[in-house]
Amino acid sequence: MSNLEAYRAKAAAWLESMVPTFGKEARKGLSVEEDLAVGRKYQRAKFDAGYAGINWPTEFGGQGLGHLEKVTFDTEEMKHGFPSFYFGISLGMPIPVLMQFGSDKEFVKERVLKALKGEEIWCQLFSEPAGGSDLAGLRTRAEADGNGWKINGQKIWTSWAQYCDYGVIVVRTDPNVVKHKGLTYFWVDMKAPGVTVRPIKLVGGDSHVNEVFFDDVKITDDHRMSPVGGGFAVAIATLMIERYVATDSAGFGPHLDLFVDLAKEVELNGKPAIEDGRIRQQIARNFAMRSGLQSITARAMAMMQAGMTPGPEGSLNKLVAVRSRQKLSELAIDLQGSGGFGYDDHASQKEDWTSSWINAPTGRIAGGSDETLLNTIAEKILGLPQDHRPDKGVPFNQIPA
Amino acid sequence: MSILYDEGQQAIATESRRVLEARVNKDELLPLLETTGRYHDGFWTTAKEQGWTALALPEAYGGLDLGLIELGLIAHQAGRSLSGAPFLTSSFGAAKAIELYGSEEQKAKYLPGLASGETIGAVAFASGASALPAAPAVTLADNRLDGTATGVSGGLAADIAVVFANSSGTPALVIAELAGARRNTIDSFDNSRLFADLVFQATPAETLVAGDAARDAALHVLALQAVITAHEQAGGAEVMMEIARDYAVTRKAFGQPIGAFQSIKHRIAELYGHVELARANCIHAASREGQADFVTAAAAARLSATEAYDTASRDCVQIHGGMGVTWELGLHLHTRRARSLAIEQGNLFFWEDVLVDRLTGEAA
Ligand SMILES: Cc1cc2nc3c(=O)[nH]c(=O)nc-3n(C[C@H](O)[C@H](O)[C@H](O)COP(=O)(O)OP(=O)(O)OC[C@H]3O[C@@H](n4cnc5c(N)ncnc54)[C@H](O)[C@@H]3O)c2cc1C
Repeated sequence: MSNLEAYRAKAAAWLESMVPTFGKEARKGLSVEEDLAVGRKYQRAKFDAGYAGINWPTEFGGQGLGHLEKVTFDTEEMKHGFPSFYFGISLGMPIPVLMQFGSDKEFVKERVLKALKGEEIWCQLFSEPAGGSDLAGLRTRAEADGNGWKINGQKIWTSWAQYCDYGVIVVRTDPNVVKHKGLTYFWVDMKAPGVTVRPIKLVGGDSHVNEVFFDDVKITDDHRMSPVGGGFAVAIATLMIERYVATDSAGFGPHLDLFVDLAKEVELNGKPAIEDGRIRQQIARNFAMRSGLQSITARAMAMMQAGMTPGPEGSLNKLVAVRSRQKLSELAIDLQGSGGFGYDDHASQKEDWTSSWINAPTGRIAGGSDETLLNTIAEKILGLPQDHRPDKGVPFNQIPA
Repeated sequence: MSILYDEGQQAIATESRRVLEARVNKDELLPLLETTGRYHDGFWTTAKEQGWTALALPEAYGGLDLGLIELGLIAHQAGRSLSGAPFLTSSFGAAKAIELYGSEEQKAKYLPGLASGETIGAVAFASGASALPAAPAVTLADNRLDGTATGVSGGLAADIAVVFANSSGTPALVIAELAGARRNTIDSFDNSRLFADLVFQATPAETLVAGDAARDAALHVLALQAVITAHEQAGGAEVMMEIARDYAVTRKAFGQPIGAFQSIKHRIAELYGHVELARANCIHAASREGQADFVTAAAAARLSATEAYDTASRDCVQIHGGMGVTWELGLHLHTRRARSLAIEQGNLFFWEDVLVDRLTGEAA
């Protein structure tokens, strides 16, 4: 057994032992707040067992292991539906960025440890009503205020903001220069006076995203994590962190096996649907898509293990998998005909077709829409021209709104 | 087997690409379409010289003892260059059938010629729409074949064929020398594939496998060929994507490169997805040779590669506008090849059913 396989086996056994306390069954019927409390305990258990910050430096409380161990653990963890998603963004982007760009090392270390233990949660305050895909189009501003800054404006789509202690934020500090030159990157205390968080209810019924309002929120200059006007580069660095994360060829929806089970149970024209050519075709194509993605991921892992850098084809994962999940979920509902109307907003997206379907569009937007992913592939990988950008070279305050 | 190419394998890819780019060009390929019975000689000569015909066969019979991965890499380059001779797949399939299921004498008799490329092999399993018919139209009695195998790729030039036959109600995989068979030329949209119906009339044949095992053996041979074909398709799809990309950055309309229009650039980005999924499935399938899930992996490779090549050749033509549909530019060579490869070694329906049978344990 390779070292990695040994690591996997040990992690799998540990995760298995956590199921009775933190698994789906144990958490049935809990409110979000209760579930979050359980989530914090689970995160603490991970920390104590040495599975938090797996690939982070030991001086910040991490395990100092490799990326492969991290992905291996995540892949095993994903099988169980533990309440780890509350910390996904926090530990995924803001905290790694804090470790890289935070200036006060003592402060950083304290925050990182608390985040790793699930005691504190960080959010990412990038998107705005006027700037989602066009991140540099944001309007929230920070003005010099004595020794520090004063923030005014609004962010939106901020995941878990209502439960967060801190956030990383990009704001406009100079509207007189072209849009991405006038941005600066800070961290903010989400409990500071002038910060208001208002949850947004999403189509699936949950409210994990928020609007966040900033009214004269005062911060000192040591909150700054980029040069003044140099925030865009740090924002991009944030988005690039964790390029290789555990992926799911099911697009974080139900596994194909569940579809096959359904097709065996349901009848179409008086015969099991599994005998219907249309159903078989979709199963076959879905399998081919998933097996392709799995092979891409397996190759990326093998390359990393061999000390090589994986190719850019990993960028296909989200694009291809979530679209397929959306279609397969539609088909699963179709297949149930008039038996397919039911909906349970507590059901798991990974096990319930209706829940998977209603939430799939979220996956095609969050973290970059299909269109922006296609642009990235076209421009960065294939060298096709950039889109026409009429705001290019124009000072931000002269761009027609 | 590893899913990462090692240095030797990389070298095979680079070298075969270099050789094929130097020796095969579209001006030689276009005339092949206008007659029947001609293939790209240069390609086959190159294949023999370079040892590609021997590559995946055992050393004991003049082979080089490499495998599907290496041959797949060459097939990928052959797909890029449209090199035109079907024997890379069909002679390989015939040779594997003999290697895996033949007797010592049969191997000694046929494999060295197939390895050197002096003997050209074909695989004749299909009967009409069915790639592996429940009741083969060719029958075997007293070691003689009667009946017609349809649409045999390479059939016009092959010396021997491995045939799926019906031997008094049970299947049999047999080998026949084609000197004693009639070949009905198929005038095809892709003539360089040398498609023919092979008509057997008391043609002498030797049995490789008989009984129920013959069907599994035939499926296994088809799967081996399917993996090679899938590599060829992935190569064709890849080059179509590249040609489309290159055109999109140079051709201008409305004052900008057409690649700046999202309808064009997103289409090419989507092709990237098709190509990479097909390539990933090909690499995976080649690495699963000899494993229990090999046929499943081969089927997945075949499905995604067929979709990739069809889509890429279709979209590449569209992206070229009027130029795309000229005889001269030759993009139609790929349009044609995408379709002929899509039905050689079993069409999409066939592989979808094979795949779903294996995945679900439920036959169609
Ligand atoms: C569940 C969820 C959680 C999120 N969490 C966070 C978070 O924690 N922090 C955070 O900062 N943000 C978060 N986001 C925001 C997310 O990053 C944005 O929603 C996303 O980038 C799209 O921006 P938008 O919603 O403004 O859509 P828009 O940018 O307005 O896009 C509208 C449409 O136009 C298309 N479009 C835009 N630009 C182009 C282009 N150049 N070419 C072609 N089409 C284009 C888009 O693809 C889309 O179809 C979250 C979003 C969701 C749904």
